[in-house]
Amino acid sequence: MATAASGAARREGGAWRWLTLAPAATIYIALAVLPIANLVVMSFHDIRWADGIARWSAVGFRHYAELSRDPLFAAGLRNTVVFAVLAVGAEMVIGFVLAQWVSRAGRAEIVYRTVFLLPILLPGIVIGAIWKLMYNPDFGVVNQMLALAGIAGRDWLGDRALALGSVIAVDVWHWTPFVFLLLLAGLQSLPQDVHEAAKVDGAGTWTELRYVTLPMMLPTIAVTFAFRLIVSFKVFDEVYLLTGGGPGTATEVVSFTIYRRFFTEDRMGYGSAISVVVLFLLALTIVLALAATRRARERAAS
Amino acid sequence: MHLTGSTPRMAADGGTRILEEKMAMKTSKRRFVVALVRAIAVGTGVAVGLAGPSAAQDAPRVPRVAPITIVINQSPWFAGFSAVVDAYEKATGNKVVLDVNPFAGSAEKQRNSVRAKEGQFDVLVMNSAWLAEIYHGGFLVPLNEIDPSFRIDPLVFNYDDTAYWDPKSRTNNAKTGQLYGIPINGNIQVLYYRNDLYRKAGLKVPQTLDELVANAAKLHDAPAVYGMAQRGARSASDISYDWMPYLHGSNGSIFRNEKEGDFTVTINSPEAKKALDAYVALAQKSGPPNPGSWGQAQVIQALLTGKAAHATPVIAAWSQVDDPAKSAVVGLIDAAPVPHGPGGKSTPTLGHFIGAIPKNVPRDRQVAALAFLRWFQGREAQIVYAKAGQPPIRRDVYDEPFMKTPPYRWTKAVLESAPNARMMYTVPEGPQIVSILELRLNQALIGEKSPADALNTMAVEIQALMRGAGYKSERLPDLR
Amino acid sequence: MIAPRVKSVAMHAALAAAAMVVLLPVLWTALAAFKTQIALLRGDALFAPTLANFHELLFSRSSDYFAHFANSLVVATLSTALVLLVATLAAYSMVRMRWPPAVPALVLGFSLVFHMIPPITLVGPWYVMARALGVDDTYAALVLAHLTLHLPIGIAVMSVFVRDVPFELEEAARLDGCTTPQLLRRIVFPLVRPGLAATGILVFVFSWNEFAVALTLTGRHTATIPVAIARFAQEYEIKHGVMAAGAVLSVIPAILLLLFAQRSIVKGIIAGVGK
Repeated sequence: MATAASGAARREGGAWRWLTLAPAATIYIALAVLPIANLVVMSFHDIRWADGIARWSAVGFRHYAELSRDPLFAAGLRNTVVFAVLAVGAEMVIGFVLAQWVSRAGRAEIVYRTVFLLPILLPGIVIGAIWKLMYNPDFGVVNQMLALAGIAGRDWLGDRALALGSVIAVDVWHWTPFVFLLLLAGLQSLPQDVHEAAKVDGAGTWTELRYVTLPMMLPTIAVTFAFRLIVSFKVFDEVYLLTGGGPGTATEVVSFTIYRRFFTEDRMGYGSAISVVVLFLLALTIVLALAATRRARERAAS
Repeated sequence: MHLTGSTPRMAADGGTRILEEKMAMKTSKRRFVVALVRAIAVGTGVAVGLAGPSAAQDAPRVPRVAPITIVINQSPWFAGFSAVVDAYEKATGNKVVLDVNPFAGSAEKQRNSVRAKEGQFDVLVMNSAWLAEIYHGGFLVPLNEIDPSFRIDPLVFNYDDTAYWDPKSRTNNAKTGQLYGIPINGNIQVLYYRNDLYRKAGLKVPQTLDELVANAAKLHDAPAVYGMAQRGARSASDISYDWMPYLHGSNGSIFRNEKEGDFTVTINSPEAKKALDAYVALAQKSGPPNPGSWGQAQVIQALLTGKAAHATPVIAAWSQVDDPAKSAVVGLIDAAPVPHGPGGKSTPTLGHFIGAIPKNVPRDRQVAALAFLRWFQGREAQIVYAKAGQPPIRRDVYDEPFMKTPPYRWTKAVLESAPNARMMYTVPEGPQIVSILELRLNQALIGEKSPADALNTMAVEIQALMRGAGYKSERLPDLR
Repeated sequence: MIAPRVKSVAMHAALAAAAMVVLLPVLWTALAAFKTQIALLRGDALFAPTLANFHELLFSRSSDYFAHFANSLVVATLSTALVLLVATLAAYSMVRMRWPPAVPALVLGFSLVFHMIPPITLVGPWYVMARALGVDDTYAALVLAHLTLHLPIGIAVMSVFVRDVPFELEEAARLDGCTTPQLLRRIVFPLVRPGLAATGILVFVFSWNEFAVALTLTGRHTATIPVAIARFAQEYEIKHGVMAAGAVLSVIPAILLLLFAQRSIVKGIIAGVGK
């Protein structure tokens, strides 16, 4: 079994242990860790420019205290969680089903694969502009299609009850290809003999999926899911172009609040504080999720 | 690699020190260069003057200067600007490089350059949205420090003193401040209205808000035509920008007197309430079903597709109106000054652009940048600009015969209201103030808050913001 | 024997339906490239096709689309190649070398968390660094930034694939006297090809479409396609048709890459199974 190879088998590696990790480590430290440290330092300061010089004044935890009173931050956090759960959930399910089907589609695979990847190829800014036109209540193609089916059109982005759902739909359309591609690669790197063995054992499609494919795909699924979930926390393009966070605060999301505070209002200190808090919440979520997974695995093993 | 690890604070402080040392070393050399350039300039001027006494006074003579880089955003008026740049290059032999950016991100791009040790850009074309930040940050050089004899042409519109800055009182004030820039584009709001619908209904062009509310209601024929298309959305600046002319035009304001440094919050005045009541009435009586989601793009779309009887976009949007590839209402739209409240006057909000020169570029390039600005404000340049369909920044160009032809039927509205145009804000806290306005105005528009409640909430929030930022700020008693 | 056939027909029908849903907005975008602005604003179903959008995109005075295209090609190719190389090496080191368990956990955990930060908050420091090193408005600045942005997904995905490389193969190769570089070249990289292809496509596309960082770190000489297209999303006039035309032309390399990578994925699988 291929899985037997994972885990224990490791070697000392000597100098190569360092040499292989060094490029990644250098880049992380120079271009990621330091800017983040900078973000943390900034979050305790007010930064104002006068006479062409930056003046930093320490404000302690004031920015963090202000967060609790920021109406946009509260709404943004709530919407972001809803957005992440619904969008990523849908993308994982649809992406997995499509990957399963396409992996068995035989010769048509190349066609389907290319078609399903198309949305991810378009630049985000174009997607926003185009969907905004398609969603237009008066002239949009969405309502035109519904009219053909005899259904009354809606104001997809203007109606507060629909706006977040409409944005999620665009995200699912845009990002399912990502999930699809990684899961397909995972499926295709599974050893073929496993499927054949399952067939010989007389396992049905469902049984095979449940007891063979899913367990073996778990690492790929986990990585894909984690990535999509985390990236969905910084959803920005769609919201920026489709709704700008409105109507009201119906589609305000955290990364948009950060952008607004950090850049539009040029409050680097306060904007950094939001980033740091979100980062902390997310790291916490990941740690808890990992711990839960490990416990579940241990329980399953015993 | 060592520098890269430092925080911006260290980079900034250390950087400034280094910069100062370099400046000290270079100053003497620079003085010489400047003197030399001026000498050549005068020399050339004299020579040309001797050669041709008939040389027109409106074509300023420009010396050969260093190549410059202008940072600007792409826009419907960019074509006009680049035509002027071409004319400048042709007339003077000087070289100009244009760094053209999308509007989204332009502020960040300029901010990055002026905060660096040595800037990338020699002329910043700044939108009114980030003007306050750049002025207050002290990033610009007064034009008379480059050339003491430089004057802005008196025929150039004043645009609410925005080319002047007083570093002491930290206000845009032409009387006490110094000249820091030249207006590049005089973008302001005007009332776009459908002349065919007006003719059919026998209506008179509205001057007051009440007249606009009445006319819009009469022309409202939803869903075929909305009487009024307004920017009701909450964004970086949608609903507040659209509402601002009604506030100012009703003699209301956010602060009692920004120019004199009086930051008493007056946004919850009875005048402001009247202006907001009118805005809400326009949306309710003659707006689309979900006015709270309409941004600028949607308003312009409604106008061009013939779905709106009125709207108040900026004049920069006009270039689409008569283009059959872009508009279904070619020839059917006219422009008038934005309506005002009782006792007020038409007061459009500035969405204009100022060209200025940053401190952190070498003096020879500053001299070259000023040479361009000097040429740009001249009549010759502004005629080129106007011929490309853009509103000139000089009064006299509006008298040119071509400006009286039908494609230029917007000029009267601009000429009439441009002198009254006002800035939305002049303090660096402006974007935060707008963020408050956007949220609360939007809530008033969609009925989450009553107008009085929305204005009272804004007043409390703006006062807290200003006090937190170190201003002395009171506010009016709550509206009931 | 009938049941599987029915099942297969049903599956293909469902796939075709899904493909339609995915395709419609793409087709609509492609059609938009041939419409006038007013036809787009009015949502006209019938329209007289025009090439004006392509003309404005490619040949208008301020346009430099071909140069931007070349810039995008250089940046996306270089940053993708670097991500694949650096990420696979790191993944190999973490999965197959005897590090204290905290090291891989830290690197992988950081990869996940780092991916969350809106890149826009990092752009400021990066710009300061680039100016300090004098590399702003060069390919190096943007390639390094994109390498940093996309390294996390590279490391996370490649770790999964490297873990699946049979350890016995490596042992056998070691016994034959393979050094680590030889081992990487002959065993590891060929066997993780499906992962490399998938990650490569994703990173290429992300880099190709990335806007916020590219806007700040590039200048006139190095601006990429999204920056060029964004110029048509003007404050007072969103030129949908021209943007759509830009998008249509910009997906060509990615589609070619897909078709090309298609083969390489298959090859990778055959190579993997054959051993």
